[in-house]
This record gives sequence, C-alpha cells and structure tokens, in this order.
Amino acid sequence: MTLDLLIQQLVNGLIVGSFYALIALGYSMVFGVIKLLNFAHGDIYMNGAFVGLIVFSFVGIWVGNGWLGVVCALLMSMLVVGLLGVVIERFAYRPMRNAPRLSILITALGASMVLNGTALALTGGRHYAFNTDLGFAGVDISTVHITYTQMVLVAASIALMAGMQAFVSRTMYGKAMRAVSIDMGASRLMGIDVDRVIALTFFMGSALAAGGGVMAGAYYGSVHFFMGFIMGLKAFTAAVIGGIGSVPGAMLGGLLLGLLEAFGSSLPFVGSEWRDVFVFGTLILFLVFKPTGLLGRSVVERV
Amino acid sequence: MHFGHAAWMRQQGKWRELMVVSFKRLAKRLACATALAGLAMTTMAAAADIKIGIVAPMTGQLASEGQDMENAVKMAIDAVNAKGGVNGDRITTTTADDACDPQQAVTAGSKLVSEGVTAIVGGYCSGAVLPTLKIYGDAGIPFVIIGANSTKLVAANQGNAFLANSTGDMQATTAVELFKKNGYKKIAVVDEGDAYSSDLAKLTAEAFKSAGGEIAAKETTTAGEQDYSAVVTKIKSSGADAVFWTAYHAGGALLTKQLRQAGFQGGIVLGDGNNSPEYLEIAGSAGEGVYLLSPPTVDLLSGAADFKAKYKETYSRDAGAYAALSHDVGDLIVDAITRAKSADQKAIIEALKASDFKGLAGEIKFTDKNTLQTSNFRPVIAKGGKWVAVE
Repeated sequence: MTLDLLIQQLVNGLIVGSFYALIALGYSMVFGVIKLLNFAHGDIYMNGAFVGLIVFSFVGIWVGNGWLGVVCALLMSMLVVGLLGVVIERFAYRPMRNAPRLSILITALGASMVLNGTALALTGGRHYAFNTDLGFAGVDISTVHITYTQMVLVAASIALMAGMQAFVSRTMYGKAMRAVSIDMGASRLMGIDVDRVIALTFFMGSALAAGGGVMAGAYYGSVHFFMGFIMGLKAFTAAVIGGIGSVPGAMLGGLLLGLLEAFGSSLPFVGSEWRDVFVFGTLILFLVFKPTGLLGRSVVERV
Repeated sequence: MHFGHAAWMRQQGKWRELMVVSFKRLAKRLACATALAGLAMTTMAAAADIKIGIVAPMTGQLASEGQDMENAVKMAIDAVNAKGGVNGDRITTTTADDACDPQQAVTAGSKLVSEGVTAIVGGYCSGAVLPTLKIYGDAGIPFVIIGANSTKLVAANQGNAFLANSTGDMQATTAVELFKKNGYKKIAVVDEGDAYSSDLAKLTAEAFKSAGGEIAAKETTTAGEQDYSAVVTKIKSSGADAVFWTAYHAGGALLTKQLRQAGFQGGIVLGDGNNSPEYLEIAGSAGEGVYLLSPPTVDLLSGAADFKAKYKETYSRDAGAYAALSHDVGDLIVDAITRAKSADQKAIIEALKASDFKGLAGEIKFTDKNTLQTSNFRPVIAKGGKWVAVE
C-alpha cells in the first residue's frame, strides 16, 4: 500500500467514521439511560435526512443552496426530529417501561417499521436528490484531494459530539442523566423528574441522528427511505465496539469502525465485498470476547 | 423451500376444489336463469374472443414500470380491435400482478393458466419470471418476455418463451464495443452482488478480456450503501481508464458523484438498470458525459413521436423506459396469431419462432434459443441533464 493510498483511506475512514460516531452516540445514550437498544434509531437518522431535505428546499429560495441553507436545514431538522424522538418515547416506550426487557425491544422494532413504512408510503420508494452548491474545492496533499466540505463535516460532527460530552459531564441535566442511568428508582427518590430526563435523552439522541442524516444527505447528495437500515446496524456495531452506554466510547467506536472499513477493503487479495464481513465479524468478536467494549464498564444486574 | 412450495400448492389445490364444488352448486341453481339469458346472448357471442394475459409488477417498488407495460400492451391491442380484431376474433386482456416477487409471480402465473389465456406477455424482473417459466412451459402457453433479460431465463426456457429484450451477454458485447470505440484499455467493473449485476459484470469482464482488454479492478458494493469512498480509492489507484457500473441507478448516481469528487478523470459507463431520470437528478453535474447502455426508450427512437404523444394523451403520463418495447410485443403477439391463422398455442409458438417483425423499438427476430438476433441496447450519453444517442 502506497503512502497516498494510506492517507486517502485514512481520510475516507475519518469521514464515514464521524457519521457512525454521531449516530452511535444516540444509541449509546438511550441504552445508558433506559437499557433499551433503540432499533428505531437508524430510521430516525433517515427521517432527519428527509426533514432536512424539505427544509433545505424551502429555505434554499431565500438563502441559496450553499452553506447557509445546509446549516438552516441542519438546525431545523435537529429540532423537529428531536421532538419526534420525544413523541416516540412517550407513546411507544414509556408505556412499556416496566414491562420485561424483551417487550420493549420488540416495541423498538415496531417503531422502526412504522417510521420506515411511513417514509416508504410518503416517498414511494424514490431516491431524492439533495443538491447543494458546496462544490469539490479543497486542498491537495500529493495525490490526495480533501475538499473543504469534508473538513467542515468532520469538524462539525466532532463539535457536536464535544458539545454533547460537555453537556453530559458539566450541566445539572447531564448529572441527572447520569444519575438516572445508574439507578432510576433512587434518582426519583432524590427528586429527579425521571420522565423529563428520559425525554431529554431521546431529544438529544434523535437530534444528533438527525444532524448526521442531514450531513450525510447533503454530502452524498441523495436521500431515500432505506438509508437508515445499514447506518443503524453500523452505528450499533460502533456503539458496541466503543462500549455501549459510554459517550466517549461511541465516538471512539465510530471512528475506529470507519477506519476498519476503509483499510479492510483495501487490503491486498481482499475485495470491497468483504467490507461488511469485517464490520460484523468485529461485532461478533467483541460480543464474544469483550462485550463491554473498549471504554464501557460492566453493568451489574441487580435482582 | 421446494417442499414448502409444494405444500402450499396442495393447499391452493384444496381451496380450488372447494371453490369448484360450491360453484357447481351455484351453477345448478342458476341453470334455469342462465338458459334463458343464454338464448338472448347466443347472437352476441358468435365471434369468439382471444384472451391474452399480461403479467407485470402492478404493486411494489417497480409498479410504475409494470403500469407502463400494461398500458402499452393494451394500447396495441385496442388498436387491433378497432380494426376488427385478428382473424375475425376480438382480443381481450387480463392482467396478473407479480409484484416482482418470485412467490407472487407463481400465484399470478397459475391464475393466468387457470383463466385459459391463449398467450402471455410481460415480465419485468428476471427473479420473478424465472419460477413461472415452468408453469407456462408445462401448460404450453406462448410467452413473450418484455423486460427481464437474465441469461438464466434462456437456460430455463422450455421452448415456449421468447425474450424480446436483449440478454446480459448481448449487453456485455455492446459494452465492449463502446470501450473499444473510446479507446479504454483498462476497465474497473463494479457490481452490487445481486443476480443481475454480478451476471453482467462477469460476462463483460470475460468478453473484454477475450477482446484483448485488461480488467484493472473488480469490485462489489453493498446495495443501499451511501459511501463508496473505499471503492473509489481502489479504482483510482488501479489506474483504470474507465469504470463500468452494472447495478441500478441509485448506487450508480452516488458512485459517479464520488468518483468525480475524488478527481477521477476517466470514463464512466452504466448498465441498462440506470436508465432513470433519478440518476441524472442525483448525479447532477458529475453525470455529464457518462455513457449508458439503454433499452430502446421512446426518446431515443426516431419513429416513436406519435406513440409518445398518443401514450401521454391516453394515460396522462409519460411513456417509461419499456413502453415502446411493450407496445411492440403487443403487436408481435397479434402478428404471430395472424400468421398462425388460429388460436392454437402450438401454431402460435411456431409463428413466433419464425417472426420477422419490425416495430417502434427495432427489429424482432429470434435465434434458435428464442433470444433476439441483434442487440437492442443503444449507448447513450448524458448531455445537459438528458440522455442523447451516441453515433
């Protein structure tokens, strides 16, 4: 492997990895707080991309198709889809909170199907173009071309994740979130409004997924109803690698997964069709040998 | 799967028996009434009807293509009926929905057989057409396939089915001709791992190698994936002059965009599954100058302007990629029945074998394997957000 190829794949891996990390963060937060694998998370990402596209096509008339339009779409989509996450939690998950763990898992699958099916019915399975004027301009490092869009994208997702980490570790609500994740009953006794904290967790997780969706939509230039499925699986894998429930773990897992994909598919004698084999093979290895992931701590089941 | 299928068919058989019994009872009760009504009807039923089955995806993700096929075939049949039918008989049609799904295709096929159709036209997805070949073959019904073009269909054919669309190996030949014309020497072939695209990728790679070309890279991507950067990097470092993408338009548009974004300057050629306005929309400016091996669509055919206008007037929608060919197949089957001089299915199959038909989409003449003698794929190029013919 030449140095150019190495740098190029490093760049590729960082970009995909930053998407994975954004989505994995929501997975991890929800799991951390209510111990639920939110299978609807990938579909929330897809909904975020669609809401972003709709907003973008409206605001584009006034602010153009450049950065301003994308930022407007990003913020609006994060707000709307964040609220959608709260609604899903209120009607699909809260009634099941004291039910056996399996029931709520099945509800999550159901919520995923509802979101996916609604999007299919509304869009007719079409692929929609998300055409921005961001352009291919950028800097060249020998033969490797890195566009400004790619740089901003990675910077934006790192900023979002850093903001999230600061929120969880520095603010009162973040403290409440951590408390609920450790012991929901005791938190309630200490005067924490558990329902509100969980709703907030869903809002933030969904908003991050929506942000990822809009960025991916604008970057790749295409949006369709099934885009959340593969992303959901990959983000779940990233969350497990990093340690599900851990915020820095999700970021680390996402970036590692992106790099693993990029380098795995450029190994000699291994074709790109092996990319997903690497990803899900790694998931299996982690589940078998280190289920807590790289940065996770083991959860003790209380009886 | 075969066992499950057999059990399911038996179950269907039981239901059919039950229905037949109850219908017989009903028939007896209505016998008197029917006899009276029949007297009045005899004069009207003097001219027999020839029933033609249309099988197409009417629901599901490819419903739009199926709708086009049904409309265009009906348009051809209506025109024939308006001129007095064939051999003095009127033609009626009945449509069965295969939803591009193998299981539903078997149900749809059985429905057409039990309705006693004289001939069948249609078929868009190779996967859905394949299991029905045995059903129509056993019943000896002439079947003209409009869209499906996998080479697997040729092997499974019992002699009664005809492929009015060019097959994968013909597309591979057309692709290699295009590569040579443009002076491409090293090609990267990318598919999506499904039956259609991997078949086309394999056939093209073989044909190009035996024509003296070099395959610089052969990659497979995941359907539904958005990020092709790893594949793009490999293609770039392989030193390929051009990329041949054999799968569908959604992935094709993203790959095109990401290739150009990474600064790939070589040629991009797409298989026929990319003929969709969505490709041009999504690829945007990156799509300029990209080649596509297209089926004969109305926009590319000089003699199809009237058809295009009439189609739009009749159904208030644009004629899709397979409308012209569907219309031709409607005419072809009528032509075969006319030449067979009867509605006898064996005679129609013989007449189809001897077809020398010239329609909107070009010439239809069959080989001894019931495939087209000359490829109907045409290379087109994207210019100004439109597909235009390459001369």
